[in-house]
Amino acid sequence: MTVVATTRSVDETRDLAAALSSLARAGDVVVLAGDLGAGKTAFVQGFGRGLGVPDRITSPTFTLVHVYEGRLPVHHLDVYRLEQLSEALDLGLPEMLDDGSVVLIEWGDAILPVLPLDFLEVRVTFGPGDDDRFLAFRPVGTAWAPRADALAGVVSPWAAHA
Amino acid sequence: MLILGITTSTAQVGCAIGGHEGVLGAIHSTRGRRHAETLTPAIEFLCRQTRVELSDIGAIAVDLGPGMFTGLRVGVAAGKALSHARRLPMIGVTSLDLLAFPLRHSPRRIVCAIDAGRGEIFHASYRQSPGGVQRITAPQVASPDDLAFDLQATGDEVLLAGDGALRYEAAFEAVRRVELADRGEAYPLAGSLVQLAHARALREEFVSPAELTPTYLRKPDAEINWTTRDGEGS
Repeated sequence: MTVVATTRSVDETRDLAAALSSLARAGDVVVLAGDLGAGKTAFVQGFGRGLGVPDRITSPTFTLVHVYEGRLPVHHLDVYRLEQLSEALDLGLPEMLDDGSVVLIEWGDAILPVLPLDFLEVRVTFGPGDDDRFLAFRPVGTAWAPRADALAGVVSPWAAHA
Repeated sequence: MLILGITTSTAQVGCAIGGHEGVLGAIHSTRGRRHAETLTPAIEFLCRQTRVELSDIGAIAVDLGPGMFTGLRVGVAAGKALSHARRLPMIGVTSLDLLAFPLRHSPRRIVCAIDAGRGEIFHASYRQSPGGVQRITAPQVASPDDLAFDLQATGDEVLLAGDGALRYEAAFEAVRRVELADRGEAYPLAGSLVQLAHARALREEFVSPAELTPTYLRKPDAEINWTTRDGEGS
């Protein structure tokens, strides 16, 4: 089941992500996919705000991993610059997945072979207007399936735009 | 010869100094997975309390894993740095061997299991041999259920140790003739590392820092398929 939403601005994308973060649990993995520059980092900024992260969340494209403390610890990764699956393990991914935090991975769809079987895929793509974005939420595996209804509920204010 | 041993392959970070007199001192911490922050100050404290100068150390021993990726790299990098700086030879020991060593007085089959994350364990089997243990199966990665099934099939009397065994205790409950070692034996001890390394040092089984590589067992070496990034998919 895929839930679809539309946002009209980067702030709306952040608000949607903040709302979604209320469903987050320790051990969750969120895979961020979609167009380059569509707003994956903005999504994580909103998600982090929703989890009470006080720091400014910035792109980890060059630093690879950022760690924040909120209601849950947040690991924010960007695997865009990696070439080998083993490099994702070198970032300490197995331990992050195991330490009771939420792990958000930009371009995570590229490293599925080293990810757990349970995750939420968030695909952000460009809409018709310059600031319009389509967001598609796809729960994968058993960890997210029971939250599918709650997911649709949280996203519904933005689903109405479509 | 005095040996500095460093073990970081699990949630526990540890270091010890010892030699022919046995273990002179050891420090371990299992709190908070702060291997990088803990290790170097721990070595400094250990040297001070045992009144050993770094210049007195004759070899660096490190725990090579398998185990926790991030921890392993902290320990191996620190060991290599010291080895380079002091021009010291190195000795690498498998984490599972370190777990088995303190259990060497048991006549049972000793099975060591380290938590590999993602629902898996690294494990190997040992049996008693004069002065220590002998590894009888190669270290491998498996699910706890697979190991439980294997142990059930062999029917041996088994002493099962390690944080992987404790974490997946439930998987082994139904297996007859398997006893779990207690929490004191859950992590590789730096003192065991120094003792095992000392025996190897006597046989001059050293390696150079360049030759020493951690055991990952599970490291996929595939390239990332970048159709999305490189625009081939669109």
